[in-house]
Amino acid sequence: MIYSDIALDAVVVAILVDLFVLRTAMLTRGIYWLTYGLIFPFQLITNWWLTSRNIVQYSPSEIIGRRLAGAPIEDLLFGFSMILLTLSLWDFFTRRAAANKRELNS
Amino acid sequence: MTHLSYMAVIAFVSICALGVNFAFRLRIARHWRELLLTQFAILVIYLSWDTWAIAKKNWFFDTHQIVNVDVLPKVPLEELLFFIVVPLTIILSYQALLKLTGWEQKGHES
Repeated sequence: MIYSDIALDAVVVAILVDLFVLRTAMLTRGIYWLTYGLIFPFQLITNWWLTSRNIVQYSPSEIIGRRLAGAPIEDLLFGFSMILLTLSLWDFFTRRAAANKRELNS
Repeated sequence: MTHLSYMAVIAFVSICALGVNFAFRLRIARHWRELLLTQFAILVIYLSWDTWAIAKKNWFFDTHQIVNVDVLPKVPLEELLFFIVVPLTIILSYQALLKLTGWEQKGHES
């Protein structure tokens, strides 16, 4: 169950980065959950396409075996970590850029 | 055409990204520096994971349904493109929803 462990680690890392490293606190913001809710069904569609056609296959020994829309449920952890980390980084960089701009103008 | 099965996903996600960018007039290219930084970080992290997982045979691809161009050992081109277009679509969706809802309009001017 290697994929399961790493997917879970990825979620933990993304949460730590969001809350304590970059301090973007995406997890506490409504807009984050709204975005996640919008992307989630699209993740299921692409997962279903990729797995129902066996474009990608998973070693049974690396996953716990529960599936949603064809893909291992571990994929939801992977997706959550990527959405959170992407938006945390994006928010961090854009906020920093805006702060620099204000400094230049003042 | 079966060798384009995975590429069809990339095309679908890219069309969503372009559609959102133009429909909401997000003009994301103005933020190309921040976009590049974010995309680069995500690409490095997730492509490393992917390369390692493929080497460990956590998952593998049907060679009849990909274009069979490897960008890293056994890592198909489609995976590289996936880790570019998906984060881009995530960012565009976020920006579109910010605009649509009007939430956080004052941003984080603390």
